[in-house]
Amino acid sequence: MAGSGRDERARIRGAQSGVVSDLDALFRRHWPAAFRAAYLVVHDAAAAEDIAQEAFLAAVRALDRFDRRRPFGPWLHRIVVNRAIDWTRARALRREVGGDAVPEAVAPEHRPDDGTVVALLSNLSPEHRAVIVLRYLLDYTPGEIAELLDLPRGTVNSRLRRGLDALQEHA
Amino acid sequence: MSRLRRELANAPIPGEHEARVRAWEVVSAAFAEREPTPWRRRHLRPLAAAAVAFAVVGAAFSPPGGAVLHSLRKAIGVEHAQRALFRLPAPGRLLVESAEGPWIVQADGSKRLLGPYRDASWSPHGLFVAATRRDELAALEPGGDVHWTLSRRDVAFPRWTGSRTDTRIAYLTGSRLHVVGGDGRGDVDAGGLPAAARVAPAWRPGARRLIAYADTTGRVYSYDTDHGSLEWRSRPFPHPRLLTWSDDGAILALLTSDRLVLFRGAQPSVIPLAGAVDAAFEPGSHELAVVRPAEVLLLDADRPSVRPRLFAGAGPFAGAAWSPDGRWLLVAWPAADQWVFVRTAGPRRLEAVSNISTQFGGSFPQLAGWCCG
Repeated sequence: MAGSGRDERARIRGAQSGVVSDLDALFRRHWPAAFRAAYLVVHDAAAAEDIAQEAFLAAVRALDRFDRRRPFGPWLHRIVVNRAIDWTRARALRREVGGDAVPEAVAPEHRPDDGTVVALLSNLSPEHRAVIVLRYLLDYTPGEIAELLDLPRGTVNSRLRRGLDALQEHA
Repeated sequence: MSRLRRELANAPIPGEHEARVRAWEVVSAAFAEREPTPWRRRHLRPLAAAAVAFAVVGAAFSPPGGAVLHSLRKAIGVEHAQRALFRLPAPGRLLVESAEGPWIVQADGSKRLLGPYRDASWSPHGLFVAATRRDELAALEPGGDVHWTLSRRDVAFPRWTGSRTDTRIAYLTGSRLHVVGGDGRGDVDAGGLPAAARVAPAWRPGARRLIAYADTTGRVYSYDTDHGSLEWRSRPFPHPRLLTWSDDGAILALLTSDRLVLFRGAQPSVIPLAGAVDAAFEPGSHELAVVRPAEVLLLDADRPSVRPRLFAGAGPFAGAAWSPDGRWLLVAWPAADQWVFVRTAGPRRLEAVSNISTQFGGSFPQLAGWCCG
């Protein structure tokens, strides 16, 4: 992942001591991937913005306690992807419990239907989207994904395989 | 796999640039509030002063449509924070609630404590205040005299509606929604509806006496109190926090822990919006001020996908109230012990007042309404 190494540790140290330009550098480096990862899981730009923003706010709040020896990206991505999965599950649940006598209109999930990989991705469950995004957008290995999502490595591999199969099937 | 990687990395996302700009404003504001721990412990008071300065200098506006923040800063007139509330910037009287009870603040800045009550709210024309004690609903005169009381168990959230001659108060007793006449007579359980959530009911403005309330599952009900009939109910929206109507009665806004729901009749539009703590419609419009921990948004409820930021800073912010003329929005900022008045009509302007807690008996008060200019 981009953002690892000595430079990032220096930026984190600077941010911990209050240097805003170092926080700016961390934000510029990590916001695009965090926002994109959230969007590709939830398929809702406003929700993705909220999720990525909350992850950065969590990072700011935890800055004093952050261990500089750990890479910043995986820590942030763990928060983003898990929150994105939770958000998508919650929306699905709410959709299912509708069905009162009174008709309702709920803002539909944005499902692009243009044959792109992103459009095909919207056919997968959030759990499958998440491993695809972590593997092919953020370039984590299956072992790293297992650690980030607190899953057995075999589960990650099977979700990757099924996810890719489903993408090819719908293509 | 290379196509997959390429498309994931390059797929267009609506509003990507604007989202990054908004997020940086919020994140950098939170960072500005934070200081390394040892320094902060040594300098709690200077930190508060810095937060005040940050509020005045760093506060940012954007008009509907989300124009560039930096260019707007140049157009903002700013006054330094006042040490005390010498006056309100607009006509009307402000109702707030501290640990000691409700206070009425007059336009000239004078204040009166009404007594050991809570859950205070204005009557429709500001002639009375409805408030509660543990097992008592009370109608109070603005001078503090008790007009009448009604004993009920675990009373909460009285809300008053009506004309000058005929009014009703809706309130919760335990989890039951009740309605009583403005003279304290004719108290009834409103139709045996499902148990209410701990959310204030909201009267729909207009001639019909329709009340909206949320049950414990988060379903919203519109109930006709004169005819005892249910107009509509929604599906559940878990963890409801607040209900409020636009003053033409066209739109009902529901805040939950993670979204804003806008009802036009029974039809909800759902907008993901995490962490919002308060919302209020601007009088005479469909502009909705939404308070989040580090920002105040001003949404056009007719175009809720556009979310321009009215004000951002090192929160958390706690609540908002519109002046009766709709020209000023008061934002409560307990962390800085400040009220920030934001003029939204005409040239943008801020007026901040500090030392709020000490002016209300030592605790930072909640906003309960700005009434009747």
